[in-house]
Amino acid sequence: MTNSLIKLVGAAAIALSSGGVASAQDANLLDTIKERDSLLCTGHNGSYLGFAEVDAEGAWQGFDIEFCKALATAILGSPDKLQVIPVSFAQRFPALQSGDVDVIIKVTGWTQSRDTDLGLQFSRPYFIGPFYTMAKTELGAQSIADLDGGVFCVNAGTTVERVLADYMEVNDVSYEPLAFEKGEELRAAFYNGRCDAIAGFGPFLSATRVNAPDPEAFTILGDVMKLEPEGIVVRQGQDDFLDVINWMVSALLMAEEAGITQANVDDMKANPPSPTIERLLGVSPGVGERMGLSDDWAYNVIKTVGNYGEIYDRTIGDGSRYKLPRGLNNLWNNGGILYPLVLD
Amino acid sequence: MHTILASRRFRRAAIQAAFVGFILLVLVGLVVTTQQNIVAQGIATGFGFLERTTGWPINFSVIEVSARSTYARIILAGLLNTMLVGFLTLFFASVLGIILALLRVSRNTLLRLVGTTYVEVFRNIPVVLQVFFWYAVLTHLPGPKEAHSLAGVAMLSNRGIVLPSFTFVENGLVYLALGVVAAGLWLWFTRNRISRAVRLGVGLGGVAALFVGLVVLGYEPGAPILSLPYLKGLRIAGGVTLKPEMTALVIGLVLFGAAYIGEIIRGGLIAVDRGKLEAGRALGLSSFQINRLILVPLALRASLPSLTNQYVWLMKATTVGLAVGYPDYFAVISTSINQSGQTLELLALLMGGFIVLNYSIAFVMNAINDRIKIKGRS
Repeated sequence: MTNSLIKLVGAAAIALSSGGVASAQDANLLDTIKERDSLLCTGHNGSYLGFAEVDAEGAWQGFDIEFCKALATAILGSPDKLQVIPVSFAQRFPALQSGDVDVIIKVTGWTQSRDTDLGLQFSRPYFIGPFYTMAKTELGAQSIADLDGGVFCVNAGTTVERVLADYMEVNDVSYEPLAFEKGEELRAAFYNGRCDAIAGFGPFLSATRVNAPDPEAFTILGDVMKLEPEGIVVRQGQDDFLDVINWMVSALLMAEEAGITQANVDDMKANPPSPTIERLLGVSPGVGERMGLSDDWAYNVIKTVGNYGEIYDRTIGDGSRYKLPRGLNNLWNNGGILYPLVLD
Repeated sequence: MHTILASRRFRRAAIQAAFVGFILLVLVGLVVTTQQNIVAQGIATGFGFLERTTGWPINFSVIEVSARSTYARIILAGLLNTMLVGFLTLFFASVLGIILALLRVSRNTLLRLVGTTYVEVFRNIPVVLQVFFWYAVLTHLPGPKEAHSLAGVAMLSNRGIVLPSFTFVENGLVYLALGVVAAGLWLWFTRNRISRAVRLGVGLGGVAALFVGLVVLGYEPGAPILSLPYLKGLRIAGGVTLKPEMTALVIGLVLFGAAYIGEIIRGGLIAVDRGKLEAGRALGLSSFQINRLILVPLALRASLPSLTNQYVWLMKATTVGLAVGYPDYFAVISTSINQSGQTLELLALLMGGFIVLNYSIAFVMNAINDRIKIKGRS
């Protein structure tokens, strides 16, 4: 009896000590992804309109999903090797930490606590999100100051709660915050008139307005409360993987800057206009090899999803039903603040 | 050695000790492994974040909080919000439950029918649906500019029910609640020693004095002592606002909980032996005396264990407040997890808070049960 107990305790101790190391901390995630031959990227639990939504055929669409596809193409050569894992905003960090996803591409603001406390690593911003306020048109408000004393509804647990608190204090506007856990309940409360305004990420507000029973009843006010740079997130220590992500974003911007599109990429590859384009499209070697990718990865990406401008236009810009202006998310030479890195 | 092993007492103790040791080993192993993995991923741990300011406010709280409050304070505010809704619910659900039980055991067919219909309707609809329903009703009221005014002292709109209020000092309601609890304890502990008139006088007088004191201390020159609601810009200023989130939550929980409590009390009433009531009548007791001395104590004794269960259950049900945007303990912890990323620590706080809260309810109810149960029976 006592003997078998000792055995049992011993077995448990062994099981615990060996089980402890089997976490997601693999040495090189890039190799793991190649071995697995699929990339695990974040989707959404439901639809985050414009960025990650499921279309009528059940396929994932949206700005963030296009970047997932671009990354899968860069590493594995085909967008079909992308596996979209639906997670909520709250679940995204635990999902990354536990290895359920390889990367978070989910309009994630680069904040200090996420960068340090949570053990995450951010890519260069791939999208600049402005925070706006949308008010009921009947209130006749021209600016946020006109909404003094009103009720502002927000998504619970997002950076918006903080941005709103800061903005209202600096501008000395009194307000009453009301936070909802789910987007559906937030929208219902706003449409019913429980809140005078909702504060949020510009693209989210546009999508909410487009989907309202009567879009004319709501107006997005001109005041930009804050800009939030959105980055692609990986676990701390995945330097090689992060390199690929940064250069993937850069290649998309460089393609737009050089006028390379999904349609003309083959012509460009046949007759590269400059030595840099020659390198980018893999005509002269080096662009992929130093990162452990094939030399034509950038060509494949552009061939699959197009350049940055094309992605924007197709998912949230003029080519979509959301008609979101490019604004700051334009190239530096078109009035925006985005730029490619130097390819040498 | 053999003699020790041959002792049955020793063997039993050894097996039990080994079992407890094994459980402890597994628990320690779990904690250590989790800790190692967290450190390996470079995630910050510990409760240090509680000292940091949140940077986000909450919509409603009984204590003063703002975006500059610490996590500790905002979490405390959430716990107090849960307790507020919880105790309001327990109180009103019990009152309504008693009425329902009396309807259900009534000899009048119509009253019985009303009771039965109520119980069957409200017991069979999920509580979250009922809360949603009342929230929808309250938010479909007209806006503040078209608010219904009730005789100029109260206003009803989709921003809530605004009632006239006294201007207290900061956190005045908390002090007042503590004062009422203290008065209650005074009345209870002096029940056999001092005459009833003195006890009531001291208890009620104390509460009244506290009330006046709070109003006087909170008085600001120029401001009215009784604050009435009036329209100011986009909102209704003055008075005290019962926000739709809290009102809907309390109404939903009370109506739902009362159906169960009513059934439990009805069970207790039916369980009372007819013979004992007849014995009371034979002794010449009036029907009021029979109710007070025989029926109520015996019915209470029979229904208390299930009632404890129901009270604890109702307290946990307050977490549906998350769905309608009421910042209860669960909602505040959930937002904190999102904002600070300290998932494990906050979940531990969440569970710990509910255990303490519900254990306190169970403790009080069990203490009452111990006093009134038949001695010698468990």
